[in-house]
Amino acid sequence: MHWRKLLKVLHRDIGYLAVGLTVIYAISGIAVNHISDWNPNYSIKKSTLILDSIPSNSSKDAMVTYVLNAIGETGKLKNSFRPSPTELEIFVEGNTILVNYETKEVTQEKFNSRFLIKETNDLHLNKIKGAWTYIADLFAVALFFLAISGLFLIKGKNGITGRGTWLTLIGFAIPIVYLIVYYLINS
Amino acid sequence: MKKIIILLFIFSAISSGLIAQNGKKYGNKLTLKEKTSIAAIQENPEKYVGKTVLVEGLIVDVCEARGCWIDIASDKEFGKMRFKVDDGVIVFPMDEKGKMVVAEGVFEKITQTKEQLIEYGIHYAKEHGTTFDPASITKGKTTYRLKGTGAVVK
Repeated sequence: MHWRKLLKVLHRDIGYLAVGLTVIYAISGIAVNHISDWNPNYSIKKSTLILDSIPSNSSKDAMVTYVLNAIGETGKLKNSFRPSPTELEIFVEGNTILVNYETKEVTQEKFNSRFLIKETNDLHLNKIKGAWTYIADLFAVALFFLAISGLFLIKGKNGITGRGTWLTLIGFAIPIVYLIVYYLINS
Repeated sequence: MKKIIILLFIFSAISSGLIAQNGKKYGNKLTLKEKTSIAAIQENPEKYVGKTVLVEGLIVDVCEARGCWIDIASDKEFGKMRFKVDDGVIVFPMDEKGKMVVAEGVFEKITQTKEQLIEYGIHYAKEHGTTFDPASITKGKTTYRLKGTGAVVK
Protein backbone atom coordinates (compact mmCIF):
# COMPACT_ATOMS: atom_id res chain seq x y z
CA MET A 1 0.00 0.00 0.00
CA HIS A 2 1.26 3.49 -0.86
CA TRP A 3 2.35 5.41 2.27
CA ARG A 4 -0.21 8.22 1.72
CA LYS A 5 -3.04 5.73 1.33
CA LEU A 6 -1.96 3.96 4.53
CA LEU A 7 -1.81 7.33 6.29
CA LYS A 8 -5.37 8.13 5.15
CA VAL A 9 -6.66 4.79 6.43
CA LEU A 10 -4.96 5.21 9.80
CA HIS A 11 -6.02 8.87 10.05
CA ARG A 12 -9.63 7.89 9.27
CA ASP A 13 -9.89 4.98 11.73
CA ILE A 14 -7.98 6.61 14.60
CA GLY A 15 -10.07 9.72 13.92
CA TYR A 16 -13.27 7.70 14.37
CA LEU A 17 -11.93 6.29 17.66
CA ALA A 18 -10.98 9.75 18.89
CA VAL A 19 -14.31 11.46 18.15
CA GLY A 20 -15.95 10.54 21.48
CA LEU A 21 -13.11 11.73 23.69
CA THR A 22 -12.49 14.82 21.55
CA VAL A 23 -16.10 15.91 22.08
CA ILE A 24 -15.82 15.19 25.82
CA TYR A 25 -12.56 17.14 26.14
CA ALA A 26 -13.94 20.03 24.07
CA ILE A 27 -17.04 20.39 26.29
CA SER A 28 -14.97 20.14 29.46
CA GLY A 29 -12.31 22.47 28.05
CA ILE A 30 -14.82 25.29 27.69
CA ALA A 31 -16.38 24.47 31.07
CA VAL A 32 -13.14 24.59 33.09
CA ASN A 33 -11.66 27.44 31.07
CA HIS A 34 -14.21 29.74 32.75
CA ILE A 35 -13.80 28.41 36.29
CA SER A 36 -13.43 31.93 37.67
CA ASP A 37 -16.91 32.78 36.37
CA TRP A 38 -18.84 29.67 37.33
CA ASN A 39 -18.53 26.33 39.09
CA PRO A 40 -18.08 23.81 36.25
CA ASN A 41 -18.96 20.78 38.41
CA TYR A 42 -21.82 21.82 40.67
CA SER A 43 -24.84 24.00 40.57
CA ILE A 44 -25.11 25.57 44.02
CA LYS A 45 -28.20 27.34 45.30
CA LYS A 46 -28.09 29.32 48.52
CA SER A 47 -31.13 30.45 50.46
CA THR A 48 -31.81 31.92 53.86
CA LEU A 49 -34.86 31.88 56.08
CA ILE A 50 -35.60 32.95 59.64
CA LEU A 51 -37.27 30.46 61.98
CA ASP A 52 -40.03 31.70 64.28
CA SER A 53 -38.39 30.06 67.25
CA ILE A 54 -35.54 27.79 68.23
CA PRO A 55 -35.83 25.52 71.28
CA SER A 56 -33.40 26.49 74.00
CA ASN A 57 -31.25 24.02 75.91
CA SER A 58 -31.98 21.15 73.55
CA SER A 59 -29.34 18.57 72.65
CA LYS A 60 -27.53 18.68 69.31
CA ASP A 61 -29.50 15.70 67.98
CA ALA A 62 -32.83 17.21 69.08
CA MET A 63 -31.87 20.50 67.44
CA VAL A 64 -30.98 18.73 64.20
CA THR A 65 -34.37 16.99 64.13
CA TYR A 66 -36.18 20.24 64.95
CA VAL A 67 -34.44 22.25 62.21
CA LEU A 68 -34.88 19.57 59.54
CA ASN A 69 -38.61 19.38 60.33
CA ALA A 70 -38.94 23.17 60.43
CA ILE A 71 -37.44 23.63 56.95
CA GLY A 72 -39.04 20.49 55.50
CA GLU A 73 -35.72 18.83 54.63
CA THR A 74 -36.26 15.12 54.02
CA GLY A 75 -32.86 14.19 52.55
CA LYS A 76 -30.65 11.59 54.18
CA LEU A 77 -28.92 13.01 57.26
CA LYS A 78 -25.16 12.48 57.15
CA ASN A 79 -23.84 14.29 60.21
CA SER A 80 -23.71 17.56 62.13
CA PHE A 81 -21.07 19.89 63.51
CA ARG A 82 -20.93 22.92 65.78
CA PRO A 83 -18.53 25.47 64.26
CA SER A 84 -19.13 27.90 67.16
CA PRO A 85 -21.14 28.07 70.40
CA THR A 86 -23.97 29.83 68.56
CA GLU A 87 -24.02 27.82 65.34
CA LEU A 88 -24.91 24.35 64.15
CA GLU A 89 -24.09 22.88 60.77
CA ILE A 90 -26.18 19.98 59.46
CA PHE A 91 -25.02 17.83 56.57
CA VAL A 92 -27.74 16.22 54.46
CA GLU A 93 -27.30 14.54 51.07
CA GLY A 94 -26.99 17.46 48.64
CA ASN A 95 -27.56 20.14 51.27
CA THR A 96 -25.58 21.88 54.00
CA ILE A 97 -27.64 23.75 56.56
CA LEU A 98 -26.17 26.37 58.87
CA VAL A 99 -28.26 27.41 61.87
CA ASN A 100 -27.55 30.47 63.95
CA TYR A 101 -29.12 30.11 67.41
CA GLU A 102 -29.00 33.83 68.13
CA THR A 103 -30.50 35.21 64.92
CA LYS A 104 -32.63 32.08 64.21
CA GLU A 105 -31.28 32.32 60.68
CA VAL A 106 -31.07 29.14 58.64
CA THR A 107 -28.83 29.19 55.57
CA GLN A 108 -29.08 26.35 53.10
CA GLU A 109 -26.56 25.49 50.43
CA LYS A 110 -28.05 22.96 48.06
CA PHE A 111 -25.80 21.48 45.41
CA ASN A 112 -26.27 19.21 42.43
CA SER A 113 -23.72 17.81 40.02
CA ARG A 114 -23.97 19.40 36.60
CA PHE A 115 -25.30 16.49 34.56
CA LEU A 116 -22.74 15.23 32.01
CA ILE A 117 -20.52 18.31 32.40
CA LYS A 118 -19.11 17.09 35.73
CA GLU A 119 -18.50 13.67 34.22
CA THR A 120 -16.68 15.20 31.24
CA ASN A 121 -14.57 17.27 33.68
CA ASP A 122 -13.74 14.18 35.74
CA LEU A 123 -12.45 12.48 32.60
CA HIS A 124 -10.73 15.52 31.10
CA LEU A 125 -8.93 16.49 34.32
CA ASN A 126 -8.30 12.83 35.20
CA LYS A 127 -9.89 13.15 38.62
CA ILE A 128 -10.62 9.44 38.64
CA LYS A 129 -6.94 8.48 38.15
CA GLY A 130 -6.19 4.73 37.94
CA ALA A 131 -6.37 3.08 34.52
CA TRP A 132 -7.91 6.22 33.03
CA THR A 133 -4.46 7.83 33.15
CA TYR A 134 -3.26 5.37 30.51
CA ILE A 135 -6.39 5.70 28.35
CA ALA A 136 -5.89 9.48 28.39
CA ASP A 137 -2.22 8.99 27.45
CA LEU A 138 -3.29 6.84 24.49
CA PHE A 139 -5.75 9.54 23.47
CA ALA A 140 -2.97 12.17 23.60
CA VAL A 141 -0.79 9.97 21.37
CA ALA A 142 -3.75 9.52 19.00
CA LEU A 143 -4.27 13.30 18.81
CA PHE A 144 -0.58 13.79 18.10
CA PHE A 145 -0.77 11.24 15.30
CA LEU A 146 -3.92 12.87 13.86
CA ALA A 147 -2.24 16.29 13.90
CA ILE A 148 0.92 15.12 12.14
CA SER A 149 -0.75 12.70 9.72
CA GLY A 150 -3.28 15.38 8.83
CA LEU A 151 -0.48 17.51 7.39
CA PHE A 152 0.33 14.94 4.73
CA LEU A 153 -3.09 13.68 3.68
CA ILE A 154 -3.46 16.01 0.70
CA LYS A 155 -0.88 16.88 -1.93
CA GLY A 156 -0.85 19.82 -4.31
CA LYS A 157 -1.61 23.49 -3.77
CA ASN A 158 -3.91 22.80 -0.81
CA GLY A 159 -1.44 20.41 0.82
CA ILE A 160 1.41 21.05 3.23
CA THR A 161 3.64 22.35 0.45
CA GLY A 162 1.12 25.04 -0.49
CA ARG A 163 -1.73 26.61 1.46
CA GLY A 164 -1.09 24.14 4.32
CA THR A 165 2.30 25.69 5.09
CA TRP A 166 0.83 29.11 5.82
CA LEU A 167 -2.13 27.89 7.82
CA THR A 168 0.11 25.59 9.88
CA LEU A 169 2.54 28.45 10.55
CA ILE A 170 -0.35 30.67 11.65
CA GLY A 171 -1.47 27.88 13.99
CA PHE A 172 1.97 27.77 15.62
CA ALA A 173 2.33 31.56 15.63
CA ILE A 174 -0.88 32.25 17.59
CA PRO A 175 0.30 30.72 20.92
CA ILE A 176 3.94 31.76 20.43
CA VAL A 177 3.15 35.43 19.72
CA TYR A 178 0.58 35.49 22.53
CA LEU A 179 3.15 34.12 25.01
CA ILE A 180 5.85 36.60 23.90
CA VAL A 181 3.46 39.55 24.30
CA TYR A 182 2.24 38.17 27.64
CA TYR A 183 5.76 37.80 29.04
CA LEU A 184 6.80 41.23 27.75
CA ILE A 185 3.82 42.91 29.41
CA ASN A 186 4.18 41.01 32.69
CA SER A 187 7.96 41.11 33.03
CA MET B 1 -14.18 -5.11 14.11
CA LYS B 2 -16.82 -6.58 16.43
CA LYS B 3 -14.07 -8.27 18.43
CA ILE B 4 -12.22 -4.94 18.84
CA ILE B 5 -15.40 -3.24 20.07
CA ILE B 6 -16.10 -6.06 22.54
CA LEU B 7 -12.50 -5.94 23.82
CA LEU B 8 -12.72 -2.15 24.28
CA PHE B 9 -15.92 -2.50 26.31
CA ILE B 10 -14.40 -5.24 28.47
CA PHE B 11 -11.30 -3.09 29.08
CA SER B 12 -13.45 -0.09 30.03
CA ALA B 13 -15.61 -2.21 32.34
CA ILE B 14 -12.59 -3.69 34.13
CA SER B 15 -10.96 -0.25 34.40
CA SER B 16 -14.07 1.38 35.83
CA GLY B 17 -14.47 -1.53 38.26
CA LEU B 18 -10.97 -0.97 39.57
CA ILE B 19 -11.75 2.73 39.92
CA ALA B 20 -14.97 1.98 41.82
CA GLN B 21 -13.09 -0.19 44.32
CA ASN B 22 -10.64 2.64 45.02
CA GLY B 23 -13.23 5.42 44.80
CA LYS B 24 -12.93 6.58 48.39
CA LYS B 25 -9.16 6.67 48.50
CA TYR B 26 -7.45 9.91 47.53
CA GLY B 27 -3.79 10.45 46.70
CA ASN B 28 -1.00 8.37 48.15
CA LYS B 29 -1.50 5.35 50.34
CA LEU B 30 -1.53 6.16 54.06
CA THR B 31 1.79 5.26 55.64
CA LEU B 32 1.19 5.97 59.32
CA LYS B 33 -0.78 3.72 61.63
CA GLU B 34 -0.99 5.91 64.71
CA LYS B 35 -3.42 8.82 64.60
CA THR B 36 -2.76 12.17 66.21
CA SER B 37 -5.64 14.15 67.64
CA ILE B 38 -6.32 17.44 65.86
CA ALA B 39 -6.89 19.08 69.24
CA ALA B 40 -3.44 17.94 70.42
CA ILE B 41 -1.84 19.40 67.29
CA GLN B 42 -3.69 22.70 67.62
CA GLU B 43 -2.82 23.02 71.29
CA ASN B 44 0.90 22.85 70.53
CA PRO B 45 1.29 23.51 66.80
CA GLU B 46 4.98 24.42 66.78
CA LYS B 47 5.81 20.92 68.01
CA TYR B 48 4.30 19.39 64.86
CA VAL B 49 5.52 21.79 62.15
CA GLY B 50 7.31 19.79 59.43
CA LYS B 51 6.11 16.44 60.77
CA THR B 52 3.93 13.94 58.94
CA VAL B 53 0.77 13.17 60.90
CA LEU B 54 -2.34 11.06 60.46
CA VAL B 55 -5.59 12.63 61.65
CA GLU B 56 -9.23 11.58 61.68
CA GLY B 57 -12.39 13.64 61.76
CA LEU B 58 -15.56 14.80 60.10
CA ILE B 59 -15.30 16.67 56.79
CA VAL B 60 -17.09 19.95 57.50
CA ASP B 61 -16.23 21.89 54.35
CA VAL B 62 -14.93 21.20 50.85
CA CYS B 63 -13.41 23.59 48.29
CA GLU B 64 -16.35 24.17 45.96
CA ALA B 65 -14.44 25.26 42.88
CA ARG B 66 -11.55 22.80 42.66
CA GLY B 67 -11.94 20.30 45.50
CA CYS B 68 -8.41 21.27 46.54
CA TRP B 69 -9.00 21.38 50.30
CA ILE B 70 -11.21 20.05 53.01
CA ASP B 71 -11.77 21.23 56.57
CA ILE B 72 -11.66 18.45 59.15
CA ALA B 73 -13.46 18.89 62.46
CA SER B 74 -11.34 18.66 65.57
CA ASP B 75 -12.10 16.21 68.35
CA LYS B 76 -12.41 19.34 70.49
CA GLU B 77 -15.69 21.23 70.04
CA PHE B 78 -15.76 24.16 67.57
CA GLY B 79 -12.30 23.37 66.17
CA LYS B 80 -11.28 22.38 62.66
CA MET B 81 -8.14 21.99 60.56
CA ARG B 82 -7.53 22.76 56.88
CA PHE B 83 -6.24 19.82 54.80
CA LYS B 84 -4.81 21.34 51.60
CA VAL B 85 -3.86 19.29 48.58
CA ASP B 86 -2.19 20.25 45.31
CA ASP B 87 -4.69 21.36 42.65
CA GLY B 88 -5.65 18.47 40.41
CA VAL B 89 -3.50 15.90 42.22
CA ILE B 90 -6.27 15.14 44.71
CA VAL B 91 -9.81 16.38 44.07
CA PHE B 92 -12.44 16.07 46.78
CA PRO B 93 -16.05 16.06 45.53
CA MET B 94 -18.56 18.16 47.45
CA ASP B 95 -20.50 15.01 48.33
CA GLU B 96 -17.77 14.11 50.82
CA LYS B 97 -18.92 16.88 53.15
CA GLY B 98 -20.39 15.32 56.29
CA LYS B 99 -18.38 12.09 56.03
CA MET B 100 -15.52 10.85 58.19
CA VAL B 101 -12.00 10.99 56.82
CA VAL B 102 -8.62 9.61 57.80
CA ALA B 103 -6.04 11.95 56.31
CA GLU B 104 -2.26 12.07 56.20
CA GLY B 105 -0.05 15.03 55.49
CA VAL B 106 2.78 17.26 56.58
CA PHE B 107 1.84 19.87 59.17
CA GLU B 108 2.95 23.29 58.02
CA LYS B 109 3.03 26.87 59.19
CA ILE B 110 1.76 29.57 56.84
CA THR B 111 2.62 33.19 57.45
CA GLN B 112 0.50 35.55 55.38
CA THR B 113 0.90 39.26 54.90
CA LYS B 114 -2.01 41.68 55.09
CA GLU B 115 -2.07 41.90 51.27
CA GLN B 116 -2.19 38.13 50.90
CA LEU B 117 -5.06 37.87 53.36
CA ILE B 118 -7.05 40.51 51.47
CA GLU B 119 -6.44 38.68 48.19
CA TYR B 120 -7.59 35.40 49.74
CA GLY B 121 -10.63 37.07 51.32
CA ILE B 122 -11.73 38.43 47.94
CA HIS B 123 -11.23 35.00 46.32
CA TYR B 124 -13.13 33.19 49.09
CA ALA B 125 -16.03 35.66 48.98
CA LYS B 126 -16.30 35.29 45.21
CA GLU B 127 -16.19 31.50 45.44
CA HIS B 128 -18.81 31.32 48.18
CA GLY B 129 -21.02 34.18 47.01
CA THR B 130 -20.46 36.11 50.23
CA THR B 131 -19.24 39.61 50.97
CA PHE B 132 -15.79 40.64 52.14
CA ASP B 133 -14.56 43.97 53.46
CA PRO B 134 -10.82 44.42 52.82
CA ALA B 135 -10.78 47.01 55.61
CA SER B 136 -11.49 44.21 58.08
CA ILE B 137 -7.92 43.00 57.59
CA THR B 138 -5.50 45.20 59.49
CA LYS B 139 -2.43 42.95 59.75
CA GLY B 140 -0.94 39.66 58.61
CA LYS B 141 -1.34 36.41 60.51
CA THR B 142 0.11 32.95 60.98
CA THR B 143 -2.01 29.89 60.34
CA TYR B 144 -1.34 26.17 60.35
CA ARG B 145 -2.60 23.47 58.02
CA LEU B 146 -1.93 19.97 56.83
CA LYS B 147 -0.33 19.69 53.39
CA GLY B 148 -2.21 16.59 52.32
CA THR B 149 -0.63 13.57 50.69
CA GLY B 150 -3.38 10.97 51.04
CA ALA B 151 -6.82 10.39 52.53
CA VAL B 152 -9.47 7.75 52.92
CA VAL B 153 -13.08 8.88 53.21
CA LYS B 154 -15.32 6.41 55.04
